[in-house]
Amino acid sequence: MSFIFRGMMGGQPAGPQPSGAETIQKLCDRVASSTLLEDRRDAVRALKSLSKKYRMEVGTQAMDHLINILQTDRSDSEILGYALDTLYNIICNDEEEEQDESEDEAAQKQADDLGTQFTEKFIQDPEHVTLLLTLLEEFDFHVRWPGVKLLTALLKNQGTQLQGIILVSPMGVSRLMDLLADSREVIRNDGLLLLQQLTKSNAAIQKIVAFENAFERLLDIITEEGSSDGGIVVEDCLLLLLNLLKNNSSNQNFFKEGSYIQRMKPWFEVGDDNSGWSAQKVTNLHLMLQLVRVMVSPVNSPGATASCQKSMYQCGLLQQLCTILMATGVPADILTETINTVSEVIRGSQVNQDYFASVNAPSNPPRPAIVVLLMSMVNERQPFVLRCAVLYCFQCFLYKNQKGQGEIVATLLPSTIDANSISAGQLLCGGLFSADSLSNWCAAVALAHALQDNLTQKEQLLRVQLATSLGKPPVSLLQQCTNILSQGSKVQTRVGLLMLLCTWISNCPIAVTHFLHNQENVPFLMAQISENLGEDERLVQGLCALLLGICIYHNDNSLENYTKEKLKQLIEKRIGKENFVEKLGFITKHELYSRAAQKPQPVFPSPEQMLFDHEFTKLVKELEGIITKAVHKSSEEEKKEEEVKKTLEQHDNIVTQYKELIREQDSQIQELKEQVSSMSSQNEQLQVTVTQQLSQIQQHKDQYNILKLKLGKDNQSQMNSQVDGSQVNGLQTEEVAQLREELEELRKQHTLLQTQLTEKDTLISNLRSETPQIAEDSAAESNNTELLQELEALRSQVQSQTAEIMQMKTEREELLKRNEAMSSDAACSSDDLADSAKMAELESRLTAQMAATERLKAEAKSLSESRAELEQQLASATSTVAILQTEKGKLQTEVQESKKEQDDLLMLLADQDQKIHSLKQKLKDLGETVDDEDDLDTRDQTDDDYEEDEDEDED
Amino acid sequence: MAYAYLFKYIIIGDTGVGKSCLLLQFTDKRFQPVHDLTIGVEFGARMITIDGKQIKLQIWDTAGQESFRSITRSYYRGAAGALLVYDITRRDTFNHLTTWLEDARQHSNSNMVIMLIGNKSDLESRREVKKEEGEAFAREHGLIFMETSAKTASNVEEAFINTAKEIYEKIQEGVFDINNEANGIKIGPNHPTTASTLTAGIQTPLTRSGIDKNEVTTLLDLDEDHGVVIFKFAAI
Ligand SMILES: Nc1nc2c(ncn2[C@@H]2O[C@H](COP(=O)(O)OP(=O)(O)OP(=O)(O)O)[C@@H](O)[C@H]2O)c(=O)[nH]1
Ligand SMILES: [Mg+2]
Repeated sequence: MSFIFRGMMGGQPAGPQPSGAETIQKLCDRVASSTLLEDRRDAVRALKSLSKKYRMEVGTQAMDHLINILQTDRSDSEILGYALDTLYNIICNDEEEEQDESEDEAAQKQADDLGTQFTEKFIQDPEHVTLLLTLLEEFDFHVRWPGVKLLTALLKNQGTQLQGIILVSPMGVSRLMDLLADSREVIRNDGLLLLQQLTKSNAAIQKIVAFENAFERLLDIITEEGSSDGGIVVEDCLLLLLNLLKNNSSNQNFFKEGSYIQRMKPWFEVGDDNSGWSAQKVTNLHLMLQLVRVMVSPVNSPGATASCQKSMYQCGLLQQLCTILMATGVPADILTETINTVSEVIRGSQVNQDYFASVNAPSNPPRPAIVVLLMSMVNERQPFVLRCAVLYCFQCFLYKNQKGQGEIVATLLPSTIDANSISAGQLLCGGLFSADSLSNWCAAVALAHALQDNLTQKEQLLRVQLATSLGKPPVSLLQQCTNILSQGSKVQTRVGLLMLLCTWISNCPIAVTHFLHNQENVPFLMAQISENLGEDERLVQGLCALLLGICIYHNDNSLENYTKEKLKQLIEKRIGKENFVEKLGFITKHELYSRAAQKPQPVFPSPEQMLFDHEFTKLVKELEGIITKAVHKSSEEEKKEEEVKKTLEQHDNIVTQYKELIREQDSQIQELKEQVSSMSSQNEQLQVTVTQQLSQIQQHKDQYNILKLKLGKDNQSQMNSQVDGSQVNGLQTEEVAQLREELEELRKQHTLLQTQLTEKDTLISNLRSETPQIAEDSAAESNNTELLQELEALRSQVQSQTAEIMQMKTEREELLKRNEAMSSDAACSSDDLADSAKMAELESRLTAQMAATERLKAEAKSLSESRAELEQQLASATSTVAILQTEKGKLQTEVQESKKEQDDLLMLLADQDQKIHSLKQKLKDLGETVDDEDDLDTRDQTDDDYEEDEDEDED
Repeated sequence: MAYAYLFKYIIIGDTGVGKSCLLLQFTDKRFQPVHDLTIGVEFGARMITIDGKQIKLQIWDTAGQESFRSITRSYYRGAAGALLVYDITRRDTFNHLTTWLEDARQHSNSNMVIMLIGNKSDLESRREVKKEEGEAFAREHGLIFMETSAKTASNVEEAFINTAKEIYEKIQEGVFDINNEANGIKIGPNHPTTASTLTAGIQTPLTRSGIDKNEVTTLLDLDEDHGVVIFKFAAI
C-alpha cells in the first residue's frame, strides 16, 4: 500500500494533510501508468472506497481512467468489478437512502445533478455503452452484477439516450434479456430492475423484449415465486409486464395470442379462508388487477378489448374476479380495484354483462351482486374510492347494454316491483333522496346511465310514481327530482339531479312535455339562471341553462304555454340571450369538466370534487353549440332549423321516406312523360289530320277548279254567242271566288238562255203572228252584289283556317320543345337518385324535383289546355271542312243541275232552231223574205250557215 | 387454443414489397391497397395444421426501411422461420436479396428456415424479375422459393405453411433443439397449468411500494343496517 493511502486511511498525518483531490489524482496516475496489474487493482479499489465521499472528485478526475480499465483489463474480473462499482457509485443517485432525513433538499438536488452530469460524460461516446453491454455477457458475478447495476443507474439518469444507444447496438436488448435466465437470483432480480428502466415508454424496446420471450419468462418467475403470495420479485415482474403491455397494442395482441390471459386466472384464486393479507400481497394483487385492466382498457381499440374480454370470460378469469368481489375479508384497496377491473372486463361486452347480471352474492337469501354493490354505493360508511368503483361498475354494466338498462328500470315500474326484496330501483331511489349528497349524486348518475341512448327507458321512467310518507297522493319520480332541486339542497345533490334530468329529457320530447307540464319548473329555472349568484352556484346555473335549452331544443310544441317560441321569448325577456349563453358556458368552463371528459372511470381527488360524469360531458359537448344556436335563432330561422333538425333526428327514417317520395315522384314524372309523349303524338296526329284535311280542301278546290274549268269551257264553247266574253273573264279574277263566279255565270247564262228562249218564243209567236219582232236582251244584274258578299265570306273563312293551322303548328313546336325539356329534367333526376346518401343533397334534390314536378304539372295542364284548344280548332276546322264539302256538294249538284238545264235548254234551243228553221223555210216557201235574222247571227252562225249551205249542197 | 408447437417467424425484405400485406392476407384474409409504412415491428398470429397437429404461428412483420434495420435485426435470433420477400415488379428489391441474406445468416441461428418469396405475381405485365431467376437464387442459397400475390391471396397460405412444414421436418430429424426457446420453437402446453405452486407463501417484509392498506372491507356484511332510505313505490 502506498503512503498516500495509508495517510488517507487514518494514520497520523505528518505534515499538511493532502486534499481529497490530490489523493485521487495520485490514484488516477497510478491507474494510468502502473504496469503492474496488482498495483492498478489496488488503486482502483482505493478509488472505489473514496467514490462515495469524494463523489465529485472521483467522477471528474477518474472516469476516463476507469473506462480505460474496462477496455484494457478485460481479463481480470476483480479490477473490472472495482471499476464498475466505482463508476456506479459516482453515477447512482439514490444509493444513500439511509441518509439523514433532515438533510436539506438542496443537497439531494445537487446529487441528482452530479449523477446526470457524470452519466452524460459517460455516454458521450456511445462505445462506452456498447463496452458495458459486452461486459454484461461476462458470466463472472463480480463483473455482471455491478455491470447490471451501473447500466440501471445510467438508464435512470438518461433513459431516452441510453435506450437509443442500446437499441442500435447489435443484439443489445436481446443480450439484456439473457439476464432473466441467470441462475443467480440477485442478478436475475437486478436484471428485472434494469429491464424496467430499459422498457420505460419505448415501444420498440418493449416489442423486442416481448419477442425475446419476456412474457413466458416473467409468468414463469411469478408462478415460481408463489404468485400473489410471492415477494418483491413478483412485484418487479408485474411492473415489467405492465411496462411491456401498457399502450402497446402489438404486445397486447402478442400477449393475448400467446394465451397468457389464461395464465393470469390462477393469480386470483384467493380463497375466502385467507389467513391474512400482507402488504406485499396487496401490492402484488393490485398490480395483477392492473394488468388485467391494461388488456381491456377503454382506451384500447374496441376490437382488441372485445377479444380480450371474450377470453377472460372463456377462461374463467371474470368468474374468478367476481368471487373476490363477493368474498369476505378482502382489503378495501383490493376490493376497490377488483370492482374497477370487473367493470372494464364487462364494459360493452354483452356476454360478460349478462354473466355479471347473473352473479349472486353468497348471502342468505342470495342477492344479485348488482344489488349488493349498489348498497355500498349509497352507503355513507363505505370508503369513497370504493363507492366510486361501484358507480363505475354499474356504468360499465349498462354501457351499450339495452337489456341491462331495461332490467334496471323495470325494477322501478309498478308492474314488476317485488315488495319483498330490495331491488336496484329501490336503492337508486333511496340514494336519490337520501340526506347524503354523495349518495344523491351517485344514484342520479347511475340512473342517468340506465337511460343513456335509450328512448324506451326514458319514457318508461316517466311512469314511476313514488308514495310519499305523508299519505299525500303519489308523486312522479320526475316531479320528485324537481321538488328536491327547488328545495335548495347541496350543490353536489343538485348537480347530480340536473345531470339526471338533462339526460332524461334530452332526445325525448314526451319527457320534455312532462317536465314543462309542471308549472313551477320553468319559473324556477328562469330564476336560477337570471340571478347573480356566487362562484359555487355557477355550475348549477349552467346546468339549469342546459336543462332549459333542452326544453327548447327537444320541444314538440305540444304545450300551448311552453312552445319553443314562447320559451325563447321568455329567455329574451327575463334573462337575455347573451346572458343565457354565458351561463350555459359555465359548464364547460368549470375546472373539473375536462378532467371528467378524459376517461370513463369516475376518479376524484376528494368527495367534494365529484361533480361531473364522463358520459354527461359527452352530452354537454353535443348540446352546447346546438342550444346556443337555437336560442339565437329567430323564429323564421328556427322553423328552418327545425326542419333540418327533424331531418337529422330521423336520419335513417327520413332517408327511406325521401327515397320513397323520390320513387313516387319518379313514377309521377314517368307518368307525366308518358302523358306528354301521348299528347305530342296526339298533337302530331291532329296535325296530320289538319294537313290531310287541308290537302283535302285543296283537292276539293282543285276538283272544283277542274269542274269549273270544264264548266267554263262548256260554257265558252256553247254559250259564246249569248254571253259577253269580257264579262266572263272579269269574273274569273279571284281563284277561290271562281266557284261562285262560275255559278253566277251559269245562272246568268241560264237567265240569258231563258231570256233568249223567251225572246225566241216571242219571236216564234211573232213569226207565227207574222209580226215577228225579236226582243232586245235587257239582262238585269240585280243579284250581283249579293253574290260578291258571299264570296268574300268564303275567302275569309279559308284565310282564318290557314291562320289556325299556323297557330297549331307553332303550338305543337312549343309542345315538343317542352317535351324535350321535361324529359331531360326527368333524366337528371333519376341519375341523381343513385347517390342520394347525404341528407342535404337529398333535400336539395327533393326541392328541385318538387319544382320540376310542379313545372311538369303546370306544363301538363297547359298542354291539356292547348290540346283542348287544338281539339276545338280541329273540330271547327272539321266542321268548316264539312260545310265546305256540303257546299261543294251543293255546288256540284247545282253545276249538275245547271248542266242538265243547259242541256235541256240546248235541246230546246236546238228544237226551236229546228222549228225556227222549218218556220223560216215555210216562210220562204210562202214567199216571205227573212233577212232580219242575219243581224243577230254570229260568225259561228255564219259557219253554221255555211255548213248548212254545204249540207244543203250535199243534200 | 391448445397447440402442439409454436413457431416464430419473421418477415423481412425491402420496403414496399408487400410484407405487411402478406401477413394481413394470412391472418385476416384481407388486402390493403395503400402502403401503410411499418414502423419498427408489428405482430400477428394464426393457427395452422400440419400432419394433423395444431401449430401456432407467431409472426413478426418488420419494417423494410433502412432506418429501422438495427431494430429489426434484434428479431433474427429468436425466429425459427423467415420469409424473405422481394417484389417481382422491382428489380432492385431482388438485387438487395444478397444483403438481406447475409444479414439474416449473420444474426440468426443457423437452422432458421428461410423462404424466398417473389411477391405481387398478379402484376404480370409489370414483371421485372423472371420466375426462373428467383428459382435460381433460391437454389444457389439453399432456400425454398415461391411466387405469391398478397392481393389475390395466391400461394400466400402455401408460403407460410410450407415454411412450417420445413421446420416441422427439421424437428422430426432432430435438427432443432426444441427445448431452447431461443430457437423460435416452443412445445405446446400438454398439461394444464396447475395452481399447486400456490403456497402459503414467504411473507417478505420488503416492500417497495409502501402500501399498507390492511383495512378490510366487505360488500356483504352491510346487509342489515345499510343506512339507506328505501322508497316505497306507489301501486298504480
Ligand atoms: N398488386 C399487388 N400489390 C401489392 C401486393 N402486395 C402488396 N402490394 C402493395 O404494395 C404496397 C406495399 O405493401 P406493404 O405490405 O405495405 O409493404 P411492406 O413490405 O410491408 O413495406 P414496409 O412496411 O415499408 O416494409 C401496398 O400499396 C400494397 O397494396 C400484391 O401481391 N399485389
Ligand atoms: Mg409493412
